[in-house]
Amino acid sequence: MSEIVQSEPFVMNIGPQHPSTHGVFRVKATVDGERVIDAEMVIGYLHRSMEKLAEERTYTQNIPFTDRTDYLSSMSNNLGYCLAVEKLAGIEVPPRGQAIRVIMAELQRLASHCMGAGAFANDTGAWQTPIMWFMREREKILDIFEMTSGARLTCNYMRIGGVAFELPEGFEEEVRALIGPLRQTIADGEGLLSGNEIFLARARNVAVIPPDMAVNASLSGPMLRGSGVAWDIRKADPYCGYEQYDFDIPIGYQGDAYDRFIVRLEEMRQSLRIVEQALDGLPGGPHSTEVPLALRPPAGEAYARIESPRGELGYYLVSDEGPSPHRFHIRPPSLINLSVLKEMTVGGSIADAIVALGSIDIVVGEIDR
Amino acid sequence: MTRWWTGEELGEAAERLVPGSVSHTTETACVLKAEHALEALRALRDDPDTNFQHLSNLCGVDQWDRFEVVYHLQSLERNQMACAKVEAHDRENASVASVVDIWQGAWIQESETYDLFGIEFEGHPNLQRILLWDGYPGHPLRKDFLAMPGGLQPGLNEFAGTSAKPEPPVRPVT
Repeated sequence: MSEIVQSEPFVMNIGPQHPSTHGVFRVKATVDGERVIDAEMVIGYLHRSMEKLAEERTYTQNIPFTDRTDYLSSMSNNLGYCLAVEKLAGIEVPPRGQAIRVIMAELQRLASHCMGAGAFANDTGAWQTPIMWFMREREKILDIFEMTSGARLTCNYMRIGGVAFELPEGFEEEVRALIGPLRQTIADGEGLLSGNEIFLARARNVAVIPPDMAVNASLSGPMLRGSGVAWDIRKADPYCGYEQYDFDIPIGYQGDAYDRFIVRLEEMRQSLRIVEQALDGLPGGPHSTEVPLALRPPAGEAYARIESPRGELGYYLVSDEGPSPHRFHIRPPSLINLSVLKEMTVGGSIADAIVALGSIDIVVGEIDR
Repeated sequence: MTRWWTGEELGEAAERLVPGSVSHTTETACVLKAEHALEALRALRDDPDTNFQHLSNLCGVDQWDRFEVVYHLQSLERNQMACAKVEAHDRENASVASVVDIWQGAWIQESETYDLFGIEFEGHPNLQRILLWDGYPGHPLRKDFLAMPGGLQPGLNEFAGTSAKPEPPVRPVT
């Protein structure tokens, strides 16, 4: 065979403008025929140097920057940053503020996973139908965000010490009206895809990550849980009162692209459970504590992390008692999850590489910052 | 709840595993001596009591007189977290040992730190700029990085609040 058909490796660019890269991001794949023999990622197209910009602005002025890192989950980014500042300055958040934060973070997880699961279905060839179902539900969540904060994507709703405004009138009814149809959509999406022969052929045993490699490579979120490691920061290191809510950690068994997709769907169900519980037990009282406008935290450092839709989102702040942080570092889950791209794609076909990339669920705004 | 180790606790553990590896400890972090850092971090990963198998975060900090490389170490089994640091004092040729052999997840964060701080990581398999392009002048997250490429001036001659001198007057736009 090799005498008849000869092939030699050549470099193929996937991206920077390509629908499967979910943003401005390039994979420099070296392929031999249909096989990928090397994959190198090229990032930085969206670099805005937020970490440097943040060193010149006050702590509160930095909150809108965090919206623009992971633009599909701005509420989670706001939350992580505010938790880091609160840890640095020793600020307590009232119970109502914490419950509102939990509701918003979980709604954001639902919206983000709707996008992630739908786009992954697109990548595997389930063209447009599942993503339209999920986008329909995501739209309702974004409407709720607009109703609450005035913005759909870059919400800028959390503040140091609580949240920016009280919930609007009719919020609870809107959220409760969302839960039933969303549950049905998750069931529909799973029913359409999970036993589908084409979907299984595309996603099963593709881009397998063994659990020990997942831990050693610092993966987090659905990437880590898909490999069978039951690690969720909401359970392990509860923040905002997550210990009060009853929910499970879904895990995968094989660590392949299919498991990561199923973990995301199951996480959406768990998020709905948390939202219901938080709405039922929403405490009264103030939504925020009074925090000085020009906050000057004591000198020191703080690292706070949350379970964002994409994994462990950490903020590392160093204060020198000034009005702006001496150092502002974001631990981006997308970037670190993406760092195993080579291990996931080498040896597979080009089509598998697209599925592998889709299963990471990257957001390039967060990778490049 | 995750147990956060104080700097002193981590210092004791590191000293027990690799004697003489700790430079000093602070309230939150343990500063390791650069020459023993690799050995001590590997021992902290493998020891069953510390079990820091997951490198949560790696980043650089410019403290004016020195660079710090900050490692946030995490154990998933024992649910504990600690912060270790390594210092590099030479601003021109800042260099620390790479931990990619210990945690694979470090490579991309070390590349980023190299790109934005100009700290070399010895032993890194593929150290190159990832966010900025090759030939970019300077390393933006250094505190003394002020000028913008192409001779453009960012408006102020220095960052606000960094010196005792009065703020320069606002320049009219010409």
